[in-house]
Amino acid sequence: MKKLLFTCLAFLILQGVAAQDQIKRTVIGRDIGQLKDIRIAGRIIDEITGEALVGATVSIPEINQTKITDNNGEFEFILDRAEYTLEFRYVGYESITYPIVAVGDGRISMRMIQEDFQLEDVVIFGRDPEKNIRSTDMGAITMSMNTIRELPPFLGEVDIIRSMATLPGVSQVGEAAAGLNVRGGGADQNLIQFAGAPIYNPTHLFGLFTSFNADIVNDVTLYKSVIPPRFGGRGSSILDILPKAGSIDRWGGDLMLSNYSGKIGINGPLVKDKVSIRGGFRGSYINWFLNSLSNPDLKNSQANFYDGNLVISAPISENQEFTYSYYTSYDDFAFASDTTISWKNNSHSLGWKGHFGEKVGIQALGYLTEYDYSIFNRSGINDFDLNSGIVDYGAKIFATYSLSPANTITIGGDFKDLTIQPGELVPTNQQESGILPQKVQEEYGREMGAHFQHEFEIGEKFGMSYGLRYDLFQYFGPRTVRQYAENQPISDGSAIGETTYGDGEKIISYDGLGPRASIRYSLSKYSSIKAGYNKMYQFIHLISNTATIAPTDIWKLSDEFLKPQIVDQYSLGFYNNFKGNIFETSIEVYYKDIQNVVEYKDGANLILQNHVETELVPAQGRAYGVELYVKKNLGRLTGWVSYTYSRSLRQVITAFEEEIINDGEWFASNFDKPHDVTLIGNYKLSTNTSVSATFGYSTGRPVTFPEAKFDYAGNSLAYFNRRNEQRLPDFHRLDLAVNFKLKGQGRFFEDGDWTFSILNVYARKNPFSLFFVDEAGAPPQALRLAVLGVPLPSLSYSIKF
Amino acid sequence: MPTMFKRLIYILLLLPMACIDPYEVGLDTGEQLLTVEAVLTSVPGRQEVRLTRSDTYGSVFEGLIRPVRGATVVVRDDLGEVVFLEENSEDRGSYLTPPGFATRPGRSYTLQIQTPEGKVYSSFPETVNPVPDINSLSIETITIPVEGEENVRSGIQLIVDIQDPAEENNFYLWKHGPSVYILETRPDIFTPRPSDTNPSRDPQPKDCCIACFRTEQVDNSGIYISNDDNFNGLNTRLVAGFVEDDGLRFVNTYRIDLRQISISQEAYRFLRLVKQQTEISGSVFDPPPANIRGNMINLEDPEEVVLGYFIAGAETVRRIYVDKSQLTFAQPRSIIPDDCRVVEGAQLDPPADWNP
Repeated sequence: MKKLLFTCLAFLILQGVAAQDQIKRTVIGRDIGQLKDIRIAGRIIDEITGEALVGATVSIPEINQTKITDNNGEFEFILDRAEYTLEFRYVGYESITYPIVAVGDGRISMRMIQEDFQLEDVVIFGRDPEKNIRSTDMGAITMSMNTIRELPPFLGEVDIIRSMATLPGVSQVGEAAAGLNVRGGGADQNLIQFAGAPIYNPTHLFGLFTSFNADIVNDVTLYKSVIPPRFGGRGSSILDILPKAGSIDRWGGDLMLSNYSGKIGINGPLVKDKVSIRGGFRGSYINWFLNSLSNPDLKNSQANFYDGNLVISAPISENQEFTYSYYTSYDDFAFASDTTISWKNNSHSLGWKGHFGEKVGIQALGYLTEYDYSIFNRSGINDFDLNSGIVDYGAKIFATYSLSPANTITIGGDFKDLTIQPGELVPTNQQESGILPQKVQEEYGREMGAHFQHEFEIGEKFGMSYGLRYDLFQYFGPRTVRQYAENQPISDGSAIGETTYGDGEKIISYDGLGPRASIRYSLSKYSSIKAGYNKMYQFIHLISNTATIAPTDIWKLSDEFLKPQIVDQYSLGFYNNFKGNIFETSIEVYYKDIQNVVEYKDGANLILQNHVETELVPAQGRAYGVELYVKKNLGRLTGWVSYTYSRSLRQVITAFEEEIINDGEWFASNFDKPHDVTLIGNYKLSTNTSVSATFGYSTGRPVTFPEAKFDYAGNSLAYFNRRNEQRLPDFHRLDLAVNFKLKGQGRFFEDGDWTFSILNVYARKNPFSLFFVDEAGAPPQALRLAVLGVPLPSLSYSIKF
Repeated sequence: MPTMFKRLIYILLLLPMACIDPYEVGLDTGEQLLTVEAVLTSVPGRQEVRLTRSDTYGSVFEGLIRPVRGATVVVRDDLGEVVFLEENSEDRGSYLTPPGFATRPGRSYTLQIQTPEGKVYSSFPETVNPVPDINSLSIETITIPVEGEENVRSGIQLIVDIQDPAEENNFYLWKHGPSVYILETRPDIFTPRPSDTNPSRDPQPKDCCIACFRTEQVDNSGIYISNDDNFNGLNTRLVAGFVEDDGLRFVNTYRIDLRQISISQEAYRFLRLVKQQTEISGSVFDPPPANIRGNMINLEDPEEVVLGYFIAGAETVRRIYVDKSQLTFAQPRSIIPDDCRVVEGAQLDPPADWNP
């Protein structure tokens, strides 16, 4: 009775408000007497910067509909002629209630204002607070830059890839390792794409940090479980990084200085209200410091890097938009030697998207990506350049057709063309040089894919998504291919002949059908169970003899010896949100079967290797694990705890005894870390001060210890036998950061922001590697390399103008 | 203040954050595996096969590498000719061929060992390939910065100039032969340790001798190998050795013999793994440790691991004289305040073939 009374009362009050408010309602559209199918579209931008707000929610309580703004900040409703109250919400912005009367098709341009740090109101929702419960997606995690910015920065900067490694099921080999290992997969099994273009080595400083400038990024989505069929070509995960468009209405920018690097960004309307542009540049000044030092090792070292971005966005009509994005990164690095290693990425992408009617959306994208690495030797004797690289260009298109808001079909196709130059040795002094120019055969391949996906809901409780992707890979000439005797291991000695293929002649092709499916059953508004299955094909392999992604690694296409990697993944998850989405929890379990991964013969020689097949052995992999995750989204204290128990195993059995590793038993892969815990917290001390902390713990990664020592040629050597049977000491580290926001009085530079951080607060010497040396004057011994052996402070200052 | 500032930068800098330090690992007791070291060549002489046993990894206190004594060691060629090796009574575990033993290009050789316990081991046959001559030998001075020290290490690199034969795949190994140099000492400042019979602390100059010829075998632990993938059929220059400047060797004239040995592809692969292990730095780019498989097996138990490698090759030698003026950087001269003849391997008369 009491409840009923309250409801009635509330109803009356609301009515009252509505009645009082009637005059203030904004009339939208030209009144031509339309009653139905009134199209109300709009765009939300930041009041100050004019940037589009992506992922903001617009809801209309009267009809119980909520829309999320797209990459351009756009939203759209189809309404009947009536009065409505639009509610605009976005993380870190003040919510707006906007009463309207819809009388005809029209547009709303909404400006939202960033809220000051209000103690009770800090939210780290990605986009939609209940998305984790309601969507049928499994293992898709979107991190907005706002979330990533809450983490302690690495060397004064937000690091996108490192932030991903704090999520359950995602790990890295060590502190200087660039690649991600997602659910037991190798670093090459992740497709990292920026604005739709694949990026092959997005790292700076030989892997210390990521070469994506966080100021250019809008958000980052990691798909690690059931990957939508429109993505293909990699086995473990997709990391989809989307750049941020500039403001179409006023010029602005930002500047950041830290003790390692500086960056500047500018954005604004190239054509007012039509075309926006955003540019960013980041560079290091480590070289300058190095040269000022007296230590000869450091003085003779160099470490240079920069990256740059350009994003141009041009809506050509209300329903269509072009976006162009350019990304470049460059590194060179020499440590007390006459050998310089350098690498660079260049990528262009041009995207178009359009809406046709209310039901059809089409997106198309073309890209060109180039990755080059070089080793320059200037030792004075036989100077050379060793160059290699990848050119990858492609196009994709897909269309989405909405039968109803909760019933959509996506159909599309994609194509890519790959050219890999695995290595070319160029003597730099042609006359005198005593070395031959040498070039490993280039590789040519094409990947094509067609996909279909249907997502639908049956009632409130049941949702399903199923789809299929067909992948076709062709490997073609010009190329000379060896044949090997069948009853011998593949080696130089067992080669029996060669076949030469002409330009464009097909050498071999592989294809496969990859079904993807996931179902969701909601137990309540706040909890659901999901199950999924996923099959992926991968036709490109990272041939690396190191434990991590190194600039010296070689990418290799599948050929007649190296079969495509095929990954089958089964996953099951339970999701529950508590206390009005303040707490988000999940448990996921998975099992993965990986075919045709690559292992190496002992001491494999991979550089300038024309016949890589002689150095490789085929292996099988499997991985399984359970991931627990608790996240607090709201309040003074926000953050998450994740725990993963997982195993990643390999097995090498071939017909030839000398190739078998560890007697054909399953052994731990280089990145098998059974226990992995991450704790992340961010605490608001006051309206302008916050502290954040990250603590990580994981089992030490597998290593091989010597079983004995022996003498040879005056050296005491280690005898290694079984691979990866021992482990490094456990890894644990605490990082802390303090952030002060300064509010100035002037119009410019009002958003000063100081961040002070310390990595590795208690100076844990986490070994990246243990290695065994015999140096004159000391017994043979184990040495530990700690990449981050000391507490590492950094200070950065950033301003917006 | 400037130093303070520099230190601050140093702390804030990126590179010094990494560190390498010794680490205790609990290793299992190592197996005592037979280890073979032999490089037999076409230069006639008493050539050596050395047999030892591996032990637990770590210092000598944890595991002592012991010689294998009393084994029967035989080298057999593909024509059935058998040569017995004799254990060196002064250097246990070292077995020597008869004087004048030499491999012949085109022949293949097998090493056979029977240990005192009665186990029989054999190598796979190693075929001797011809070796091209060294056209010339030159030097280049190099300096090596030492972490944490102002003074650099230095020395000479030996650089061979060879004409690689185009028709075959060649694999090269270089080793230091004996070296001789003019040793200069300071007998004029000889100061004996004070004793009861001679309590004086003053220099007691000796009359002789200031200069000797000292013969020594320079350390061969650096592995210098090459295949001709990069220079097949070309005339090329390659770094084939390094002699460290110890403040004595390069004060007057230095002479060294460089041995160039042709080896098999398998031997090259073995030595490449040895070299890879000796050059490991623990960096992110290091390859994972490799099992260094040799060419010896236990005939009755092929599962038994035998370490090391039996190499048979052809050899050519080239000699070089290095005058101190050829060095672009030299270490400060070391002073030996005594008669030069007291130094090990030193004598007054030059070797008969001394001809700088």
